[in-house]
This record gives sequence, C-alpha cells and structure tokens, in this order.
Amino acid sequence: MSRGRAMAALPPPRSTWDAINPLRLLGELSETRYWMYLLLLPSALLITAIVLFPTVYGFQLSFTEMRLNRPAGNGAFVGLKHYQRMLADPIFWLSLRNTAVWVTFSIVIEFVVGLVAALALNRNLPGGKILAVLILVPYFLPNVVAGNMWALMLDSRVGVINDILVRIGLLHEYKAWFADPNTAMATAIFVEAWHSFPFFTLLIMAGLKGIPADLYKAADIDGAGAFAQLRLITLPMLRTIIAAAVILRVIGLVNSPDLLLILTQGGPGRSTQVLSLYAFQNAYSDFNFGYAGALSVVMFVLLMLFAWAYIRLSKVNQD
Amino acid sequence: MAQTRTGSNLIWNILSYAVLIVLALLSIGPLLWMLLTSFKVDDDIVTRTMVYFPTRFTLENYIKLWNQSGYPVLVINSLVTTTLTVAICLFTGTIASYAFSRFNFPGRTPLMLGYLVVRMFPAVLMIIPLFIVMRNLGLFDTSLGLAVAYTSFLLPLFVWMLKGFFDAAPKELESAARIDGSTRIGAMFRIVIPIARNGLVATCVFVAIAAWNEYLFALMLTSSTGSRTWPVGLQLMVGEFQLPWGMLAAGGIISILPVIVLFALVQRVMVAGITAGAVKG
Amino acid sequence: MATLSIKGVRKSFGAVEVLKTIDIELEDGGFLVLLGPSGCGKSTLLSIIAGLEPSSGGDVIIGERNVNDVHPKDRNIAMVFQSYALYPTMPVRRNIGFGLEMRKVPAAERDAAVQRAAELLQIEHLLDRKPGQLSGGQRQRVAMGRAIVRDPDLFLFDEPLSNLDAKLRVEMRTEIKRLHDRLGTSIVYVTHDQIEAMTLGTKVAVMKGGVIQQIADPQTIYEKPANMFVAGFIGSPTMNFLSGTLERSGGTIVLRHGEALLALPGLEQDVGAHIGKSVVAGIRPETFHPGEGQGTLTGTVDVVEPTGPDTMVILSIGGQLLTARLGSRDRPKLGDTMTLAVDTAAINLFDPDTGDRI
Repeated sequence: MSRGRAMAALPPPRSTWDAINPLRLLGELSETRYWMYLLLLPSALLITAIVLFPTVYGFQLSFTEMRLNRPAGNGAFVGLKHYQRMLADPIFWLSLRNTAVWVTFSIVIEFVVGLVAALALNRNLPGGKILAVLILVPYFLPNVVAGNMWALMLDSRVGVINDILVRIGLLHEYKAWFADPNTAMATAIFVEAWHSFPFFTLLIMAGLKGIPADLYKAADIDGAGAFAQLRLITLPMLRTIIAAAVILRVIGLVNSPDLLLILTQGGPGRSTQVLSLYAFQNAYSDFNFGYAGALSVVMFVLLMLFAWAYIRLSKVNQD
Repeated sequence: MAQTRTGSNLIWNILSYAVLIVLALLSIGPLLWMLLTSFKVDDDIVTRTMVYFPTRFTLENYIKLWNQSGYPVLVINSLVTTTLTVAICLFTGTIASYAFSRFNFPGRTPLMLGYLVVRMFPAVLMIIPLFIVMRNLGLFDTSLGLAVAYTSFLLPLFVWMLKGFFDAAPKELESAARIDGSTRIGAMFRIVIPIARNGLVATCVFVAIAAWNEYLFALMLTSSTGSRTWPVGLQLMVGEFQLPWGMLAAGGIISILPVIVLFALVQRVMVAGITAGAVKG
Repeated sequence: MATLSIKGVRKSFGAVEVLKTIDIELEDGGFLVLLGPSGCGKSTLLSIIAGLEPSSGGDVIIGERNVNDVHPKDRNIAMVFQSYALYPTMPVRRNIGFGLEMRKVPAAERDAAVQRAAELLQIEHLLDRKPGQLSGGQRQRVAMGRAIVRDPDLFLFDEPLSNLDAKLRVEMRTEIKRLHDRLGTSIVYVTHDQIEAMTLGTKVAVMKGGVIQQIADPQTIYEKPANMFVAGFIGSPTMNFLSGTLERSGGTIVLRHGEALLALPGLEQDVGAHIGKSVVAGIRPETFHPGEGQGTLTGTVDVVEPTGPDTMVILSIGGQLLTARLGSRDRPKLGDTMTLAVDTAAINLFDPDTGDRI
C-alpha cells in the first residue's frame, strides 16, 4: 500500500450543505449516547397513547357511570357500584364459570393435539414438510371465516358433518349443535381447538429441535421406552416453552370473545356466555361502558393473578 | 435388538403418518368444503339429501357477492387499514426492535417486559376507552383510527418477533461497519436491516394477516361502509339475508386468498419468527 | 502509522469494575499483544481503543490525537474480528472496499486498492463471491483485506485466529507477522493464546481481573515473569512451583523443600532479605537435565509422557509434582528414583504471600 492512500481515510470535507444535511445530522445523532432512547421514542409514545392511556382510562371508567344511550349523569363517580352489582349479578358468576370451562378444555385439547402433531412432525418423515404447512393453515384463518365455515358444516339442515354422522350411524337425525345448551359449549370448544392447536404445534416443534439427540440415544441405551422418554426427557425439556405457550393461549382465550360472538353470541340461553363476551356485549349492545369496564378490569386482574401463579408454579423464572 | 428397533420405528412412523394425515385432512377439509360450497347453486346447498359435489358448477355466488353486497368496498377498506397498520408498525417498530436487540441501556429489561405485558391487556378493556377517545378525536369510523387501534396489540408483537431476527445478525457486524466509517444509523440501514430482510418481510406479513383478519375492534370502531372491514361485513351478511351460505362461502374464500398466498410465500421464515419471539417471551 | 497511548483508562459496568487504571504506551510500528484468560478485560480494552464502547475514565491517544470523543468511524483504525464480521449480503470485493466506499473514495481508486490488498493476501479469485461461500481461512483473509485496504493508523485484532483449526492458525499467524513486517502499521492484538503472543508481539501485556500484570517484550515476560500468575500463564507445560525455605549453606544459597535441598548458585535475584523465609521457586520444565550439576533434585518418577521430540517426566519430590522436559531418549521407568540437574540461573523466586517476583 502506498502512503498516499492515507488521504482517502480522512472524513469528507465539510460544506454549507453538510451543515444542514439531515442525513448527516441524523448520522451524528446516532453516535450520541441517547440514540437507543430516540429509537424507542416513537413506539413508546404510541404504546403509551393507545395502550397505557386507554387502560388507565378503562380503570377509571369502571368507577364511573358511562352509558352512551343515556347521556344524563355520564362521567359521574359512582365508586364501587359496578363491582357491587357484579357480585350480585348471576350472569357474571355464570360467565366466570363458563370462562373456566372454555379456557381449560380448549387449552387441554389444543395442547394434547398440538403435542402429538409436533412429535409426529419431528420424526422428519418424507412429506412431513407439506403436512406441516397444511396443519398450520387453521391458525392463520380469520375467526369470521373459521366460525362460519364450521357453522355451515354443523348446520342443522345443511351441515355436512351431520350428514356424515348419520350415514355412519352415530346419529339418528341431524343435530342443531349450537342450538342445544348441552352441546353448544363443547362444539364451540371443538372449533376453537381446531383453530388454535397449530400454535402449540409450532412452539413445541421449535422446542423439540432444541433437545440434543444424544439424550434420546442415552435413554435408548438405558432401555427407556417411548413413553418413558416422553415423560422423562421431552416434556421436562419443553417445560419453559410449554409454559410460555400456555400463558399466551390463556391470555388469548380469556381476552377474545371473537369466535363465540360469531358462533353463539353466548347462547343458547347463556350456556356459552363467557366473561369477555359479557363485557363486550355490555359495551357494544347496551352501551353500559361503566359496567363493561368493571368486568374487563376483573378479567385483567384475574389474568394477571393467573399468569403470576402459573409462572411461579412452572418456575420459568429459573432459566 | 436391531430388528426390534427397526420394527418399533416402523410402527411409530406409520402411527405418525396416520396422525398427520388425519390432522391435515381435518385442517384443510373445512376449507375445501367451503370452496366447494362457494361453487354450488343454492339448490345444491339447501337440499333434503346432501349434495357433495356440485351438480352444476357456478360462479354465481362470487358474482352476486361482488355486485350486490358492497364487498369490493369492504375489501378495499381492509386493504387500507392493513396497509396503515403495517406502515405504522414498520416505522415505529423496526427501530424499537433494533434498539432492544443491539443496545444495553438502563431500563431495557423493564421496557421490554412492558412491551410484552401489553399483550395481556384484555381487548375489551381497551376497546371501550379507545372507542371514546377515537370518537373525541374524530378517528371513530376511519381506517386510520382502526389501524392505530390495531397497533396497540400488533406493535408489541412486531417488536418482539423482529427482535429475534435482529438478534440473529452478529453485533460485530455493526462494530465492523462503524470502524469502516459508518455511523450507527448507517450501519443499521446498510448492514443489519438487509441481513434481517427476510425476517422483516415475514414479520410484516404476520402483522398484515392479523390486521386483515381482525374482527372485534373493527366491529366496535367502525360503523359505516366508509371504513368497515370485510370480516364485519361478512358477519353482517349472516343477519342481513336468510343465511346466504353460497355467498358467505365465496366471501370467505376471496378474503382468505391473500392470507393463504402470503402465508405460503413466507411461511418458513414466519414460523421461525413466531416461535423465536414466543420462546424468548 | 501512529503511536498509541492509553492513560489511566477505566471501565465499569454498574458496580463491576472490568478495567482498573490501564496505562500502556505503544511505539509507532509496534505490535502490542493483550494476553489473558477470558474475562480479564482485554476485549473491553480493545473496544475502548476502537471507540465501540465508552471508557469510564482516562484517555486514549492515537498519534497526537486524543480520541476520547471521536466516533469509531473517524478514528482511522481498522479492526479484524473473531467472527470476521464480514457483511453477508455483499460480495468480497464490496466487503473489502466498504470502508473506502464510506469515505467516498472514487470507484476506480477503490477498485485498485481492493485489487492490491487482494493480491497481497492471495484472494483475487474470491473477489466476486459472497462470504457464505468461503472457508474459514478464506474469510479470515478477507477480514484482513478489509483492514489493510484502508491503510489505517492502527490495526486492532480481536482473537482473529481462534475460530480456525490448528494448522490454519499457524499459517495465518505467520501471515499476520509477514503483513506487520511489510506494512509497518502499529497493531493491537487480543488473544488468550500465549504462543500467538510470544511469536507476534513486540510488546506483551498480560492481563488478569482488569489489571495489567506485566507489560514487557516476550522474552522478558518468559524469563522474568513479574508474578506467579504471569509465570504460570506463559509456557507450556506450565512452570513448576516448588515451595521451600531459603537457607544459606556455606557460600551458596539453598532452597529446602522437606528432605530435598536445591543449591541455587548463579541466582540473578537479590534474595538477602529472604534468607530463612519461605519462598516459591519457579522452575521451567526445560531447565532440567539428566545427570549431575551444581543444583540437583531427586525424586520418584510418577508419570512419563512421550510427545515425540521430548519426553515429559513428572517427578514426585517430597510430595510435590514437578514436570521436566527431557530428550526423547530419556525414558525412565515408573517408580524409578531419578536425579535431575537444574539450570539454576533460570530459576525465578517468588514471594508466596504476594505472588510477586522477589
């Protein structure tokens, strides 16, 4: 290398344009100590404005009277009125019970099916990649489409499922799955599980890839069978990921009334009425924002308590 | 020993195939049925005896949907809302995600946890105040208002998912670029973002699909055809007409077509991103 | 080309102090090796020199310029990273020329410079490939090309050879030495490999716990280690430490270790003040010879390890194990009693309390 090259290594000359060039100024700014805070600022402001502020506002609403269809007295502080009403509200207690059923059964089915699918896919069989993509499809379908698709197939007059079940002799006549209080919840849970089990498959597959193959070789040599390996190696190694998946799914199931709103609107009777749906209907149909806010706050607090207890129990903190 | 091993392996393989094929059929069977239904005439849908394959193949449902139900407007509204959502996430989320991935600074961990905890907030808890705020700001029943509302749960997701992709690019690359004469922002745009390009696309697609599919916020925050999105419109059809299954099916197929195409294009990278984000979360 | 002065540089992360007042002077064209175990702060120091991390105090001066507040891009330095940090989206040619591109060097001039660097490193045939298509050794060369094309004031190397296999490592080590001889640019080189330090450095700084234990030329470091840490860190097999008491017997000084006595004629150190006190004698394995001499040690053969050119014999002397590097023909049997002569002039005595050389 010739010495003359050192000239080129000097910074480019400054000019008037250079002094006001926004790109250069941004570059200079990026070298300062506060650069990362600047990068975070837009999203943090946005989240404060559309998440934190509404949340705080929502808490506040739960202590005020707010009925959009009855403007008189709106915004008045009513203390714990909504919460007191809630305690005496049989629909609230029913919704709470239904939420527990809805979440528990959905999670268990989604987890078991998701785990089985992930274990099968993890064998890396020929054609497995295509099957994996097909199995993931439901997860990306909109609730509106998934819901109505199943509503069509389970319809009491034109439902293909009814037809198949009658043909193979499991049913005597077409059944109105969503109109019967005894089957509505179970059917809705089935549709929900169908829609979301791929989430567990996805996460568990990723977790399985992280388990060293040597562990299974060692277990083979030690004479552990398939189920022993599942119980002693696979599940313990997946503990963190399963905990994460369960928490995310519980949050989703408790928070979003979408699918039930589309399938049953809480009916028949109140057999599929869950908390989030009840809160939403109070806001959307009755415009009783104060009571709906109180219901959401209770939901939020219950979720937080659940997440905290669950994390403590499964000790995800440890890793 | 070797024989029994191969034997039991074979059994497990057969079982695996059985499980996977059943699940795959269960997964796409309903979709296929909807597709089939969308090509049927009404007489084939509502019958005394079930008609599995259309006796007459028709595009009538699609034509009716397109001409009579205002569906094109709904689709355009959804496109606008989705584009706005992705744009907001892209501009504010990319740099935030980069900051979390690259820098260690006081407050980083609590901030990141904050972005995560936001996902736990019940939609209903936020919908009500958002409804009031949007109405006061004149954003109620606008695509922009809806997109901003979507950002509330999609931006944190975007940041976390993208962070996984940024983390995969070694930090030494920026050091090298900075020594080579780049500023930090230069290194970010010239070196790191090009490397994380696939991840960025996949993350955007994920957010786009979520915004495209969303129902609850759209139901609450839109009220007219000026901004109503297709999921709300499709669901309204259920009430408006006497269960127009053929049109519903056609609407469903049209609306999920872009989802399926996008998903197919980037599914591998996207799947990696979802899992990475969730694992770390 | 420039000198480098580091004056009182400190660094702490929160309450953890990773660098405690570092002072280093490197002459123009010198080759400084920062050597130490992982976590000793050597990479942090390099990052501070590069400007990638701010120091908590002190000055870094490159040439005549205090660069404390100068961004890395303006420090006119070049760096080779452990992971090579090649930009995966760019072909080799653009990788090497990137620094010049950023400095707005005209394309023709840039291409010529890249070409020259590539020729020097024999990687012309790789210029149009992407880093992903290169082997480890080739990536290493490209990374060096990216550094030398800039003709900087200072080269920084951060464990550049640790990702290579043993054979390639030796080859590239020679290559780096040749480049330094040809270009004459000052280099700061971080490694945990003592052989790299000894072969490459004109100056070696041995670090531990954020403190420079000794800074000197390689020969001094090897022959007169400042303390037991440096003594034990440098050399393979490691230096033997024989503890004992210093006694004066007639005209000579003697080290007593239990029953064993080691006469120490020709000792360079002034040990007058330590007579009657306990000391640690540092004896390098290669200072042992079979047979008689002025100072001898007798022990039982515990392990024999032939390595080809040498035979390592581990002797048990009064319960302490010492390693001796003997010729390939010297193959004692296990359990034999063996007497070895020691080149006592090469012995270092340490204070057992402080670990420092007496």
